Amino acid sequence: MTLQRTNLQKVKRFLGNNTVTILFLVICAFGIPLSGYSANYLVSEVVVRIARNSFLIVSLLIPILAGMGLNFGMTLGAMAGQIGLVFISDWGIVGIPGIVLAMIISTPISVALGIWCGKILNMAKGREMVTSYIIGFFMNGIYQLVVLYGMGAIIPIRSNSLVLPRGYGIRNTVNLIGIRKSLDNLLMIRLFGIPIPLFTLVVIALLCIFILWFKKTKLGQDMRAVGQDMEVARAAGIKVEHTRIVSIVISTVFAGYGMIIYLQNIGTLNTYNSHMQIGMFSVAALLVGGATVSQAKIRNVFLGVILFHIMFIVSPMAGKNLIGQAQLGEYFRVFVSYGVITVSLVLYEIRKKHDRGIAGQILAQEQGVEA
Amino acid sequence: MNVKVEKIISTIMQGVKSFGLPRIIIGLFLLLLFIAAPFVGVNIGTSLSDTFNRFGMNAVMVLAMVPMIHSGCGLNFGLPLGIIAGLLGGTLSMQFNFTGPASFMMAIVFATPFAVILGWGYGQLLNKVKGGEMMIATYVGFSSVAFMCIMWLLLPYSNPTMVWGYAGKGLRTTISTEGYYLHVLNDFLSIQVTDHLVIPTGMFLFFGLLALMVWAFLHTKTGTAMTAVGSNRTFARASGIHVDNIRTLSVVMSTWLGALGILVYQQSFGFIQLYMGPFYMALPAVSAILIGGASVNKATIMNVIVGTFLFQGILTMTPSVMNSMINTDMSEVIRIIVSNGMILYALTRKTEATR
Amino acid sequence: MKITFNRIFLMRLIAIVVVLLFAMVLFFIGKQHTVLLDNKTITVNGEEIKALKMVEVQVNKLEALEFVPRDRDKVEVTRQKHTITISYTDENWEEISITRKFTLPLMEEMVIISIPTLAANPDAPQSVWLEKYELPTYAVQAAPEDEVVVTDDLAGLISL
Repeated sequence: MTLQRTNLQKVKRFLGNNTVTILFLVICAFGIPLSGYSANYLVSEVVVRIARNSFLIVSLLIPILAGMGLNFGMTLGAMAGQIGLVFISDWGIVGIPGIVLAMIISTPISVALGIWCGKILNMAKGREMVTSYIIGFFMNGIYQLVVLYGMGAIIPIRSNSLVLPRGYGIRNTVNLIGIRKSLDNLLMIRLFGIPIPLFTLVVIALLCIFILWFKKTKLGQDMRAVGQDMEVARAAGIKVEHTRIVSIVISTVFAGYGMIIYLQNIGTLNTYNSHMQIGMFSVAALLVGGATVSQAKIRNVFLGVILFHIMFIVSPMAGKNLIGQAQLGEYFRVFVSYGVITVSLVLYEIRKKHDRGIAGQILAQEQGVEA
Repeated sequence: MNVKVEKIISTIMQGVKSFGLPRIIIGLFLLLLFIAAPFVGVNIGTSLSDTFNRFGMNAVMVLAMVPMIHSGCGLNFGLPLGIIAGLLGGTLSMQFNFTGPASFMMAIVFATPFAVILGWGYGQLLNKVKGGEMMIATYVGFSSVAFMCIMWLLLPYSNPTMVWGYAGKGLRTTISTEGYYLHVLNDFLSIQVTDHLVIPTGMFLFFGLLALMVWAFLHTKTGTAMTAVGSNRTFARASGIHVDNIRTLSVVMSTWLGALGILVYQQSFGFIQLYMGPFYMALPAVSAILIGGASVNKATIMNVIVGTFLFQGILTMTPSVMNSMINTDMSEVIRIIVSNGMILYALTRKTEATR
Repeated sequence: MKITFNRIFLMRLIAIVVVLLFAMVLFFIGKQHTVLLDNKTITVNGEEIKALKMVEVQVNKLEALEFVPRDRDKVEVTRQKHTITISYTDENWEEISITRKFTLPLMEEMVIISIPTLAANPDAPQSVWLEKYELPTYAVQAAPEDEVVVTDDLAGLISL
């Protein structure tokens, strides 16, 4: 028996590796004409969403490198970012200084949460994803405790427009008028009538360059080694636990910054909801871009954002034009978001098993040669 | 003398260890709430009554965790799938205008084939992803709920009590079970102890029946095979057990119990919650069984009973006691922290992580 | 964690201090102040100062605003040091332009500048014509009704 793959097998393998992306291309191909949106509108919407979401999604890359799967714990960073934003809104710091200050405030919170999250994930090796998912829920409770009961009571908040009428706790929505789009509008250019927030894109590009550089550093190489095989890495003298914690910390801090960039574009903070779904949407977008639980590249991020958000923009309208109910399209996109994650996870697990099988065959063959 | 004290202490520590520290803390917390209740003007009878009621409502869904844990499929985060089967059964029974206790029986009858089919497919899927069940189960639950959201809009239901009035089609987000199976179990043989304290015997009996069935099943040949699969898959396969079939069977059972669980819940709650309603229903059930002392790969009927009672007790008692004490309702936050903290605790315990 | 005073520790300490200083700088330059500009006849120390008939006011490089008597407008500025330029024509048909620098207190959200007072005493200290302003109570307590906090985990699913 040979292990050389035929062309047919190669095509099969390619299709298998990119099922989700191909599925999405098909959905978009059907959805765009159905929605009836103009190309111009679609492109400008997609540009806005690339600027809004990419930073958040890039923050997922490092834990994947370290073999910890999709970091659903990025919600923690989002919470830290939101706390930073609450403070700068209270103090009345506006514009770019406001955004930078919010990032500075979020950093120590993100680091602390990241260390904690990393430690817990070290106790749950092999099921990092489900654990990080539950950590997100758990911290949401703590977040509510702090923001809904602590702020205004223990943590001083001066502004009446932030605190609930009862005297403590932050309101449902916080108006971020002071920093609204200040990063996007810093360098806005128009290309064929499409506004492009160049500065935000530059920030995202810088982050991507950082990630590429980081992968080449000693720490990045260590992470890759840990991701491939923890025991081998440990034998090679790498501090496995420490490396894993660092990867989560980096991810959490970036997620916090990403959340701030995301919210300055949106312009209002839904204090108790904004962070909850961010992890899910970011993960789904990354997977749509062709990433897997064990491998993700920068190009997956951008392909994912584009495809995922085209689906997101067109589905309500397509649903309305197709069945007459916009709600249908809304449910459809929720279904697709979760469906994508499900399919990717299943394919990943199956492939892992399959690859293990091939490795076994190779081993068997080698032993056969020896004998 | 000193040695004796040390011995006693170590015995206590052993006891604490075997019973589980979190369980003791939560138990003491609940006890404290019950002690504090009369002093802040909360009626014990009403509290107990509420606790019993909620115990009955949720116990079957918690019981739905047991078969899958036994067969080594981990915590059933995919409970929403079973709930969907239950919802289909309930709505179909109402669509065909069965009323009273008959509607409840028919809801179970209608739900069963759905539960079996969905559970079978779900089981096949989980067999393909051994080792990563929990994450995939979570997302199977979520995506099936989202898929059913579309279906609830499109399926040709026509009973006017269920569909949107103005459109004449598409199910409502909440449907009252009044006139159908509202309180059929609650009122069955219910005992009025005092003015405030009612014991919903019917629900307890129904749960008892199912629990007995599960317990009896686990002691049959197939049941012991299931436990064997859960504790050591390779060994089980070596001893001639068809692992995949056993696992599928356990998933079907869990799904079916989930379907019954939601029906019991609805008959007491009074409403069928469709659309996003079942989305997060797995988490309370999962944390309840964990509070009861179960772990990711070990669970007993006793864990179900103790866990559901503790968890639902806290959920009932915290809002009323807290509200009268400090005039704020922190129960929601406490619920989130306790339930998810419990799941985290179970996921991070070293002994189970090596499975 | 054991703290050892080696070079790495020192570098980290310096980095943290630098970031903190930077954060403070951001606070100073990013803090937003609302400056109300008011052209109204007012009485200061029993002396009545008449509103200016027609006046143009420019704060920093922002767009110039025109005022007739009883006009009030606002500008929003960040940082503490600002210049204000007012130009008007007095009774003798002479063009007068006054430029003053002023410093806002750091934690003041809102201040009011009385233009007539400034025109009358261009060299007086800023406390004569600039004072802090608090919103009238009816504007602050407009919404006494209790807000229900919605902590719905699913709300974000539909809208995004």
